[in-house]
Amino acid sequence: MNAIIQQRQGRKRHKRKTHDKCYKKCGTISSVKDLRRHLQTAIEIEHATLPPYLTALYSIKEGTNAFSYQTIQSVAMEEMLHMILACNILNAIGGHPAINKKRFVPSYPGYLPHSNNSFIVGLGKFSPEAIDTFLEIELPAQAGAPAQPDHWDTIGQFYEAIEYALCHFDLVTEGGIFTGDKSYQLDENDYYGGGGKLFKVYNLPRAIVAIQEILSQGEGMSDSIFDSDEMFGEEIDIAHYYKFNEIKEGRRYTLNGTPEKPPCGEKVDVDYDEVYNMAPNPSIKNYPEGSPLWQQTNEFNKTYMALLDSIHDAVNGNPDELKRAVPLMFDIKYKAIALMKTPYKDGMTAGPSFEFVK
Amino acid sequence: MTEKQYDVVVVGSGIAGAVLAKVLTQAGKEVLMLEAGLTAGMALKPEEDYENYQSYLQRFYETTIKATNTPYPEIKDAPSISVLEIQPQTPYETGYMVQLGPLPFGSDCLRAPGGTTLHWLGNVPRMLPNDFQMKTLYDQGVDWPICYDDLMRYYEMAENEIGVAGDVDSQQGPDMSRSNYGPDYVFPMDKIPQSYQDQVWIKSTNGLDVSLYGKTYTVNCISMPQGRNSTPNNDYRYADTVWDPASQSLNLITTDKNYEVVGATWNSYTGERCEGNASCVPICPVQAKYNALKTLKKADESKLDIITKAVASRVLIEPGGTDVAGIMYKAYTDPDSIEYTPHIAKGKIYVLACSAIENAKLLLASNVANSSDQVGRNLMDHLVLLTWGLLPEKGYPYRGPGCTTYIPTFRDGEFRKDFAAWISPIDNWGWSWPTFAPGSDVTNAVINNAMFGKDLRSHLNADVPRQTLLHFECEQAPCADNRITISEKYKDHLDNYRPVIEYDASDYMRKSFKAAKHVSDQIFAANNIEDHTIYSPTEADYVTWDGQGYTFRGAGHIVGTHRMGSSASESVVDKNQRTWDHQNLYLVGCGNMPTLGTSNPTLTMTAMTYQAAESILKQLESNN
Repeated sequence: MNAIIQQRQGRKRHKRKTHDKCYKKCGTISSVKDLRRHLQTAIEIEHATLPPYLTALYSIKEGTNAFSYQTIQSVAMEEMLHMILACNILNAIGGHPAINKKRFVPSYPGYLPHSNNSFIVGLGKFSPEAIDTFLEIELPAQAGAPAQPDHWDTIGQFYEAIEYALCHFDLVTEGGIFTGDKSYQLDENDYYGGGGKLFKVYNLPRAIVAIQEILSQGEGMSDSIFDSDEMFGEEIDIAHYYKFNEIKEGRRYTLNGTPEKPPCGEKVDVDYDEVYNMAPNPSIKNYPEGSPLWQQTNEFNKTYMALLDSIHDAVNGNPDELKRAVPLMFDIKYKAIALMKTPYKDGMTAGPSFEFVK
Repeated sequence: MTEKQYDVVVVGSGIAGAVLAKVLTQAGKEVLMLEAGLTAGMALKPEEDYENYQSYLQRFYETTIKATNTPYPEIKDAPSISVLEIQPQTPYETGYMVQLGPLPFGSDCLRAPGGTTLHWLGNVPRMLPNDFQMKTLYDQGVDWPICYDDLMRYYEMAENEIGVAGDVDSQQGPDMSRSNYGPDYVFPMDKIPQSYQDQVWIKSTNGLDVSLYGKTYTVNCISMPQGRNSTPNNDYRYADTVWDPASQSLNLITTDKNYEVVGATWNSYTGERCEGNASCVPICPVQAKYNALKTLKKADESKLDIITKAVASRVLIEPGGTDVAGIMYKAYTDPDSIEYTPHIAKGKIYVLACSAIENAKLLLASNVANSSDQVGRNLMDHLVLLTWGLLPEKGYPYRGPGCTTYIPTFRDGEFRKDFAAWISPIDNWGWSWPTFAPGSDVTNAVINNAMFGKDLRSHLNADVPRQTLLHFECEQAPCADNRITISEKYKDHLDNYRPVIEYDASDYMRKSFKAAKHVSDQIFAANNIEDHTIYSPTEADYVTWDGQGYTFRGAGHIVGTHRMGSSASESVVDKNQRTWDHQNLYLVGCGNMPTLGTSNPTLTMTAMTYQAAESILKQLESNN
C-alpha cells in the first residue's frame, strides 16, 4: 500500500492548488474547528447506515439467501471500516470523535445526518423496500456533481467537500493541520474482519487515500461498478450500490459490467419469504415498561450502548478497547435475532431498536 | 482422460499435497493433483465454496453424536474411518478399517479436499531435538536420518504457511528453550489468549513440584502454539517461501509489511481472528483455523490441474525397470456407485500424499517401494490418557479453542529409557471427550434424575462449568507388528483395498499410563479437583499395567507406516523422502516419521514436506 500512497502523494501534491480553488468555490467549511465538526458528521453518517443494514441482515433466516446475506454483511463490515477510518482522520487533525453521546445515536425512521432529507431510512426486515433504501444510501454521485458540505445529495459529494477542506487548511495552516496524537490512530492490528485494511492517518496523502477508500467502496469509482480494492492488493470487488443492485435484480454483474446497464451475469436466488417478519422500526416505546419485550429490548439497547462506549474509548486513546468490543458485536447479533424470533403483534415479530439508553 | 505429461503428479490434497501444489506451481512446474473426495469440497469459487462449507456446518449442527468426521460427506467410493465404529472386541470388520487387534486402532483421518486439516485441532508445537535421536539417547525405537537442526529452516516455512500464533519466549521446558527457535525468531502472529480456565489451572499448577519414581519434577504451564488466526506479530518479517533456482533451494523471503492474515477461503474477511466458537474439532465455522485449502488457493492455477472424485488405486512401474510409469486411478461419478472408469496419470515425478494409511495401502496394493518390508509397519499414534474432574470453582470451559495451554514437563527426560514421554494439553472443552458432555449431563439429569425446569438449569449451571479435563498424549514407540496390511478378502465399493490393522500398546506405553495417572493425581490434589476419572474394562482400548486398568484413546496422529531412514534395508524413504526403490517416487506425510515424539505431528510433517518439495525441484531441474 505504501507504493500506492506515494504514487497518489505525487499526484495529489500536484493537485493541491486546484483543490484549494475548489475549496474556495464550495467553501462553507470555515475553519479547522468546522472541519472537525464535519468529520464528526461523517462518522455519524457511516454509523447511521449500520442499524438498517444489520437489521436486514439478521432478519434473514439462517441457511437461506446466502448471496444476499454475504452481500449485506460485507457492506456492513465496510461501513464499520469507514467509520473507524473517519475517526482516524478526525483524530489526525486533533479532533475527538464522540461516539457514545445521545445525539450520536440516530432515530429511525429518519434522514441520514446533514443530508438533503430526500429519503427516509428505517429499520426493517430484508425486503425489496429495504434494498431500495440501501440503493438510495449508496447512490453514486453524478460525474461533476459539486462538493456539498451540508444538505448533501450523495455521501460522495459530502466527502469531497471534506477532502477539499483538508487540503485547504493543511495548505494555509502553519505547520499543517495533521498534528493529532498518533497514538490515537487505529490500524490493521486493532481492526479486522471487514472491507479492507485499516491504516493510520497522519498526513494529507493518507487522509486522501482514506477518503478514496471510503468512496470507492461505497459508490464505486466515478465510471465503474468496481471498487478500488484491487489497488489495495485485494480481490476485485464491486461497490456497494452495485452489490445491492445485484440483490434487487437477482443477477450478478459480469466482469464487463457497467453502471449504465443492469447486471446480466448468473442468476442469484433471493427469497424475501425466508425472513423473520419483523414489524418495521421497533422501539422500546411500543412496549409497556417492564414487560418481557420491553426488558428484552432494553437489554439489547444496553448492549448496543456498551458497544458504542467501547468504540468511543478505542478511538479516544485506548485502541485495545476495540478487541473488547468484539464479544459485544456477537452479543448484538444474538440479541437482535432473539428479538426477531419473539412475536409482537399482527403476525409480526419484535426487533432490534438501536436506541440510546443510559 | 488425461494424456498430458506433468512435471509432478501429487495424490491427495491435504496439507502435504497442498504445500507441494503451491510450491511446485509457483516454481513454474506443471502439477496434476488427484483427490479422492468430492468436487464441491475443492471449492475454488467463493460462492460455491461458501455454500459447501455451510453444508458441512449444517451437518455438524444437525447430527446428535458429533465425531471428528461428522461434518464431512461419507463416500462409499472413498471411505473415511469413523471413530464411532471403534469396538472393544477385536477382531471385527464392520467399519472401513478391518481391526485384527489385539487392540483396536482408535484414530481417524479424512479423505476429502483439504484432508484432515478440516477437522484437526491446530496445535503445532515443534518436536524436540532429542526426539530425533531416540535410539542413541534412550535406546528406544530408531534415530532419524536427519536432526532437528536440519529441519529448522523448514519448520519456519511450515509456520509461515500455517500461520502460527504463539509466543516463542514461553516455549520453555525439557530440551526446549529459545535456542530451539534461534535468537530473534517470532511466530507470524501473537499467541491466542490463554483461556479463563487456563488461568484457573495455572494458579496452583505452574511451579508445582510432583514426584515420580523418586524424582521431583517442577511442572510448568505454557501457551500452545497453534494454526489459528490472531493479531499479526509486528516483529515477524517473513512473507512467503520461494524457490530460488540460482541456489537450488527454497527460501523464506522477507518483507517490510506485516504478516497477512489468511481468512476463510470464501471470504478473506471472515475468520481473520479466532472467535472462540469452541468447535475447532471437527469444524471451525469461520475458518480462523488453518486448513490446507488456504494453501491450495495460493497455488498458480495456470500450472495446476486438479481431478476430484479420482481414487488412486495402483502405482504402475515401467516394465523391466524400477521407475514409476504412472498412477492408475478410478474416476467415479456417483460417490456411492460401484461404477468407475480407470485412468492413468502421468508425470516425471510422483508423490503420494494421501495419509499414512492410504499411502501404505496404495504401496502394498501396487507392490512397490517395499524391498525393506517396512511398508505398513510401525503404525503409531499418541495414546491419550484422559483424566477428568470437577474444579472447586467454575472454570467455564468452552471459552475459546480446544487448547491454549500445555504442560511440557514430561516431554523429555532420562525416564524415556523406561517409559514413554508425554505432552499434557490442558483441554478447554470440559468433559466432552470422555463423557460426551454437556449433552450427556442433560440426558442423565432428565432421564435418571427426572429433573426439569429450574432444577435442571441450576444443576447444569452448577456442574458443567466446573468440568475440567487433563490429557496425556503418550508417545508410541515404533513396533514392526503394529501395521497395516491388505487382503483380497477386504475391499471397498470401488474394489480398492480396505486397511487391515494389527495393533497393540506395549509395556513402554502402559508404564507411561501409570506414571501419567500418578502425576495427574498430584496435579488434581494441588488444584483441589475432585477426580471423576473412570476407566472401564468394557471400553475399547482398555489395558492393564501393574494391577491397574487404563483406557487410552486415539489422538488422530497417524504416523509411521513408510518410515524414513538411513538405509534401504530398514526404511521406505531416504532423508529426502524419496523411495529407496524408485528414483521418481516420493512419499510425503506423517507416514515418513520414524518416531513420533510428543508433538502433534502436522507441523513437523509440513516442515518435512517443504524439504521434500525442495528435493523434487532439484531433481526436476537436474534432469532438464
